[in-house]
Amino acid sequence: MKSYLALLRGSYMVGLVYRYGFLFNIAGNVLYMSVTYFLWRSIYQGRETLNGLTFDQTYIYVALGSAVFILLKTYVDWQLSFDIREGMIATYLIKPIDLQLYILFTSLGYCLMSLSAITIPTFLLLIFVFHIEIPLGVGLLIFPFSLVLAYLLSFCFDYFVGLLCFYTESIWGLSITKDIIVTVLSGALIPLQFFPDVIQNVLMWLPFQAIYYTPLTMVAQPTLGWETFLPMLGVQLFWVIALFGLTRLFYDQAIKVLRISGG
Amino acid sequence: MSLIHIQNLNKHFKVLNRREGIGGAFRDLFSGSYRTVKAVDDISFDIEAGEIVGYIGPNGAGKSTTIKMMTGILKPSGGTLQVNGLMPYNNRIKQAQIMGVVFGQRTQLWWDLPVIESFKILREIYKVDQKMFDRHMGMFDELVGLKTLYSQQVRTLSLGQRMLCDIAASFLHNPQVVFLDEPTIGLDISVKAKIRSLIKTLNAERNTTIILTTHDLGDVEALCQRIIIIDKGKILYDGDIKRVTALFGAYRTLKLQIDNYADSTLQSLQEKLTEHFGADNGCTIAQTEEFWTDVTFDQARTPLSDVLGQVMANFRVSDVRIVEISMESVVQQVYDGALR
Repeated sequence: MKSYLALLRGSYMVGLVYRYGFLFNIAGNVLYMSVTYFLWRSIYQGRETLNGLTFDQTYIYVALGSAVFILLKTYVDWQLSFDIREGMIATYLIKPIDLQLYILFTSLGYCLMSLSAITIPTFLLLIFVFHIEIPLGVGLLIFPFSLVLAYLLSFCFDYFVGLLCFYTESIWGLSITKDIIVTVLSGALIPLQFFPDVIQNVLMWLPFQAIYYTPLTMVAQPTLGWETFLPMLGVQLFWVIALFGLTRLFYDQAIKVLRISGG
Repeated sequence: MSLIHIQNLNKHFKVLNRREGIGGAFRDLFSGSYRTVKAVDDISFDIEAGEIVGYIGPNGAGKSTTIKMMTGILKPSGGTLQVNGLMPYNNRIKQAQIMGVVFGQRTQLWWDLPVIESFKILREIYKVDQKMFDRHMGMFDELVGLKTLYSQQVRTLSLGQRMLCDIAASFLHNPQVVFLDEPTIGLDISVKAKIRSLIKTLNAERNTTIILTTHDLGDVEALCQRIIIIDKGKILYDGDIKRVTALFGAYRTLKLQIDNYADSTLQSLQEKLTEHFGADNGCTIAQTEEFWTDVTFDQARTPLSDVLGQVMANFRVSDVRIVEISMESVVQQVYDGALR
């Protein structure tokens, strides 16, 4: 375990090296949040609620969504495909560590960077600049746990697409497709309540909603109560275990076709 | 029992037959035509603990593929492969603990971090205790002055500095066997010398087994007692380095720029050499690049001064270079039966 924490520490430090990246990330996020603020203000003009959500609820959901989106984007698929194409994967495989955990903990380091640099400032902006009131409720307590599970899920998808590179040697199209599917079906762009009922019902059975919809709902509507949130957390946990298992099985297959290019 | 035991080892790759041009690339999308490439073809050898073995051959000979099987990265297609009694591919994580690997073309250090941080991360990964870590870091500092590089970002190191760090890193956890894949590629003479002495000292102090692949015959000469030559996936020679050094040590290539070069020049050069040294003189003459005529000769039979004297006496020569025999020529000589 200690060796994996060392990896996390290392990648966190790499994040710190590029310190100006912070500023641009924060600036970009502020800009995005301002645009969405005015967009949704005009959508809500003269209306109290839309699809059962108030303006504040929707805006918290969307604004926080953008911050969480940056947090949960692991780029593991790009990193892994680069490493496979360039043959760098060999330098991981010569170490006495598990590849999946190696990549997970490395990406976690970057994630913690984004957390301190983007997600927390976003919360502060919401409260102090846009004067959005985040209602207090149990949802806020569960949110951190839900976020961790969401990260693991997002990681599984990215890791899976990265592993596909063993077969395809390039994942550009696959990765873009995955991003679009996840963004739309997970409720990262708009709350799932805005979808037609039939589609909502289908989406609830898929793993995507557990990535964004679940944690974001906990903050946007934190007063829904334990009886709503605990099952949601259970569903997340189920998907994490299932997808971790599946990607491990897939790795065992994919690694067999490995060819190291160059050298 | 030997540390590394390899018997009838194979590695076959299935490769898509790619066609030329845009049309070809389109047709490749639907192509099911594959060919099998035998990267490693039925090789066998044993390596004892403490040996330094030079594993050499031209580009694409199968050197790196063998190394990647020995390190557990690639799965062999067939045959037996054991390192310390275990099959590396099936016990990758366990085996990685007793191995160190340096890929000359890529670094295992953290590109964006100061050098010392990579060593700290490796300490945790290989579970090296603090006492051993301090002792080893002290030794690396003594050997190559590592301390001065501690705070430098890896990406700002020169190729030579980076390679020294990479080699030191591969020895950090005191492995039983270290694989060095092209450790001197692209380096200048003085750095090469430094790296050779580092490898030699580490081998002597720890009795670490070292397997070295290289293009540079100088590396092999300086470090190895035993040499394995591989080409097209097959082993051509496995034995004492001395027989091979005798071979490439004695051969030199004399590159000449002859004035008023004509098609008949090669012919008349051949005639002059035959006239002076006899028909079986061991010299081969070829024109390998424009304006340059190559005379490859065996110093044991025809000393350099005599060959040069003959050339100078009969031709107007504007430039001369003397080069050591290349890896490709050594392999060619072995093919031609020079070691039989």
